[in-house]
Amino acid sequence: MTKTVRYLLIVVVSIWTLAPVAWMVSLSFKGPTEWYAPNLIPIQPIFDNYISLFIPTNPIGGSYFFTSITEPITKPVINSLIAAGLGTIFAVLIGFLAAYGVSRYRAGGTFIIFFTLLTRMLPGATFVAPLMVFYASIHFIDTYAGLILLYTAVTLTYAIWLMKGFIDEIPPEWEEAALLEGASPWTVLRKITIPLTKGGLAASALFIFILNWSEFLFALVISVTEVTTLPVQISKYVSAVGRMYGTMASLGLVATIPSLALGYLIQKHLVTGFTFGRVR
Amino acid sequence: MPKLVVKNLRKLFGTFEAVKDVGFQVEEKETLCLLGPSGCGKTTTLRIIAGLEVPTSGQVFVDGVLVNDVPPQKRQIGLVFQDYAIFPHLSVFENIAYGLRVRKMPEAQLRTKVHDTASLIGVDNILDVPGRKLGLSEMQRVAIGRSIVLDPKLLLLDEPLSNIDAKARERMRAELGKLQKEIGIATVYVTHDQLEAMTLADRIAVMRNGLIEQIGTTSEIYDNPRTLFVGNFIGSPSMNLIDCELVYSEERAILKSGDFALDVTEFAETLRAKSKGRELVLGVRPEDVSVHVRKTDEEAMECEVQLVEPIGARSIYHLKIGRLAVLAKGYAMPEVDVGSKLWTTFNKHKLHVFDKKTEEAIV
Amino acid sequence: MIFLSFTKWEPLSGYDWWHAPIGGVPRFVEAFGDARLFWALVRTTIFVAVVLPLEFLLGLGMALLFLGDFRGKKAFTSVILYPMMMPWVVVGLGFYLMFQYFGPVNLLLLKPVLGEGGMMDWFTNPVLAFSVVMMADIWQWSPLMFLIIYAGLAAVPSRLVEAAEVLGASSIRILRTVRLPLIRSLAVVALIIRGLEAFKVFDIVYIMTGGGPGVFSTEVISLYVYKLSIVYNNTSYACAVSLLIMVAIALVTRLAIRPLEVKVE
Repeated sequence: MTKTVRYLLIVVVSIWTLAPVAWMVSLSFKGPTEWYAPNLIPIQPIFDNYISLFIPTNPIGGSYFFTSITEPITKPVINSLIAAGLGTIFAVLIGFLAAYGVSRYRAGGTFIIFFTLLTRMLPGATFVAPLMVFYASIHFIDTYAGLILLYTAVTLTYAIWLMKGFIDEIPPEWEEAALLEGASPWTVLRKITIPLTKGGLAASALFIFILNWSEFLFALVISVTEVTTLPVQISKYVSAVGRMYGTMASLGLVATIPSLALGYLIQKHLVTGFTFGRVR
Repeated sequence: MPKLVVKNLRKLFGTFEAVKDVGFQVEEKETLCLLGPSGCGKTTTLRIIAGLEVPTSGQVFVDGVLVNDVPPQKRQIGLVFQDYAIFPHLSVFENIAYGLRVRKMPEAQLRTKVHDTASLIGVDNILDVPGRKLGLSEMQRVAIGRSIVLDPKLLLLDEPLSNIDAKARERMRAELGKLQKEIGIATVYVTHDQLEAMTLADRIAVMRNGLIEQIGTTSEIYDNPRTLFVGNFIGSPSMNLIDCELVYSEERAILKSGDFALDVTEFAETLRAKSKGRELVLGVRPEDVSVHVRKTDEEAMECEVQLVEPIGARSIYHLKIGRLAVLAKGYAMPEVDVGSKLWTTFNKHKLHVFDKKTEEAIV
Repeated sequence: MIFLSFTKWEPLSGYDWWHAPIGGVPRFVEAFGDARLFWALVRTTIFVAVVLPLEFLLGLGMALLFLGDFRGKKAFTSVILYPMMMPWVVVGLGFYLMFQYFGPVNLLLLKPVLGEGGMMDWFTNPVLAFSVVMMADIWQWSPLMFLIIYAGLAAVPSRLVEAAEVLGASSIRILRTVRLPLIRSLAVVALIIRGLEAFKVFDIVYIMTGGGPGVFSTEVISLYVYKLSIVYNNTSYACAVSLLIMVAIALVTRLAIRPLEVKVE
C-alpha cells in the first residue's frame, strides 16, 4: 500500500481514537448555552466547569438546570488516591514476594498459576454479593481498610503474573552466586534481584495503579458516603446531575489525567509485559 | 550472453559504504564465488542482486535486462539464506511448493515437480515433516529445493555451509558440488571459507571492504594473486609474508630482510621495472618452501625448527631462519623435532613479490 | 495472601449461611427458571460475539498499518494506545456525552449526511443503546488487540518474509501464508483474554445505560447480578446465581480451550 494511503488511514484511526476525548475537552470548556451545539471549539471558553468541581457553587447558568453539585470532588479524588495508591503498594509488595517465591522456589506449584488464571476469569459481579455479606459482618463497609484490602486482593493476581515474568528474566545463576558467597536470601533480593527488575517493577506498579484507579464495581458496592472513589463519584453525577454536560466532561477529564499520565510512562513496558505473561 | 551482469555497484547505509564499486559477470552454468572476510560487502551485493536491497548506484542485468527497478518477486532469482529461512509452520512439501503455488501451478503438475525436486535433493522421505522439526542439513536441502523448483534464471547462496558443523560440512560440500553439476544454473555463492570457494566455484571474486580485489579461476587466484590480500587470504596455511627490500649488490638483486637474503637476479628485470619503491613483501606459500635434512642446494638456508604440526602424511613446520619465522609444508619427517636444524629452500618459480600494498611481479 | 484469596473465594463457603438454614437448592432451581437471567446471558453473549471479532479485526488492521517504520510512529502509537488506559467509567461517560441527542455524533455526522430525520435517539432505543455500549468497548479495547497482535507480528523473522518475497509472493499472500499463521497462538490467547473480560463487562453499561431504556433492555449478566445483590437485596439468590455463572464460565472456557490448544500445538 502506498505511503499516502497508509498515512491517511493512520490519521483516520487517530481521529477515531481522539474523538471522544476531544469532545470531552471541548465540552468541559463550554458554557451551558453551547452544550447542545456541535462546534468543537467553544466560542466563549469558561473555566467554571472545572472550578465548580472543587468548589460547589450555585447551579451554573441559573435555574434552568435544577440539580446542582453539592460536594466538591476533592474528597473522592483523595479517596481514589489513597485506595489506589495503597492498594497498589500492597499488591506490588506482596505480589513481588509471591512471584519471587513462585519463580525461584516453585512455591505453590501449579496451583498458584491455575488459581491466578481462575480468579481472572470470573466476573467481578459474582463476588459482589458474598463480599457484601462478608464485609457487612465484619463492618468493613464504607471503610478505607475494606477498600484497600479489596483492591490489593483483586490486583494481586495481576501483580504476581506480571512480576513473575520479569523475575524469570533474571538468570538464577547470579543469585546463586551471591548465595554461595554467603549472602542471605534477603540480601540477595535487595542487592541483586530488585535492582535488576526495577524497570519491570515500575511498569507493573504503574499498570496496577491504573487498574485500581479505574476500578469501579467494587468501589461502588463497598463505599456509601465515606470512601467514594472518583469513578463512583462520576457515576453519581451521571444520574443525579442530569444534564450538566460541561461539568460531567470536566470531571471525566480530571479523573483521567493520572491514568493517562502513568500510562504514557509505561507504554514501552506494556508491550513486553503483556506479551510476556500471555504467551506462556 | 552472460546470465548476470553487475556494474559499478555502490551501496551506502547511512554514511557507511558497504559496497564501493563492484562489477562482474556470470555466465550460464557458471558458478561464481564471492569470497571475503565478514563485512566486505559480499552479502550486501548478493542481496542487491536478489532485489532485497536497492543499490545507491550501479546496475544489475539479468539475462540482459536491467532489473534495478524490478521487485524481488518478479526477478525469478533463487536465494538461499544463511539461516535457510524455512517456513516453520509448513511441511517440507509445502515449503518447496510455495513458489509454485504463488504461480498458481495446477495441482497435479505441482506435485510432480515437487517430488522430482525432492528426490534430486534427497528429501523425498521427509515431505510431511513440518519445517520447525528439521535438522540443519535437511533445512539447507529444502531451502535449495525451494529455490530450484522454480527453475530460476540465477541461483544465489548466502554462506550456505557456515551453519553446519565441521564434519557434516565436508559431506554437504560434496553434495552441493554434485548438485551444481547436475542442475547447471548460473550461481553466485557467498562465503568466507576459502576451501569452499576453491572446491565449488568455477571462478572466484575476492572481495574486501566493498571492492573486488581480484576475479579469476581458482588456479588463477591461487597461483597468481594480484594483491597482498588475495595472496594471504587464500591458501591454508596462509602464505608466508616477508617484508624485505630490494638491494642491488654486485650485479645481483637480492631481497633482504634482516639476516635473510634471497637471490632473485633472474627476475631483476621485471622487478626493477615493476617495483615502485624499495619496500616489498615477499610471499611464498608453505608448500613452496621445502625442508631438507642436508644442504642439497647451493642457496639453501639454515633454519631451526620451532614447532611441528603433523597433519597426516604431511607436516607443517614452523621454522626460524635467523630471526625470521617461516612456515613450511612438507612431508612428515618423524625424526625432525623442535630444535632440529634443517635446510630450506624457496621455490624460485613460485615467488610472489608485492609492493607494500598491492601488486605482485613474479610468478 | 491466603487470607485475601480466601476472601475472594467467599462464594464457595456457601451462601446465606447465617440467616436461614441452607434452603439453597430451590434457589438454584429458581435460577434456571429465571427469564431475566436468561436474557441477561443472551445479551452478554451477543455482546461478546459482536465485540470480540470487531476488536480483533480492528486490532489486526491497526497492527498491519503500523508494521514497518514511518515518521512519527512513536507519537501515533501513543495516541492509539491511550484508550486502554482510561478509567472505563470515563470512557462510558465520554461516549454517553457524544451520543446525546444534541451531541456531536448526531449533529456533526448524521445530520449533514442524512438530514434532520437521521439524528437518532441513541439512548431511548434499546438496540441503539446497546450498540453505543458496544462501540465504547470496541473503542477502548481494540488497542489491546493491536498491542498483542503487533508484538506478535513484529516477532515474525524478517528473513521469512524476505524468503517469501524472493519466491514471488505478494504482500497479501505473505500476510496470509506467513504472518498470520505464525501469530496464531498469540491471537488465540488474546481472544481468550479479551473474551473473558468482555463477558464481565459492567462499568460501561452501568454508566451509560444502567440497564437500558426501560428496566432491563441492555442488562448484561454482571449488571444483573449486581442489581440482585445490591438493589434488590436478594443476597442468597445472587450468590446462587453467581455460583452458577462461575461454573458455567469455567466449563465454557475449558471447552473452548481444548480444541484450540490442540490445533495450536
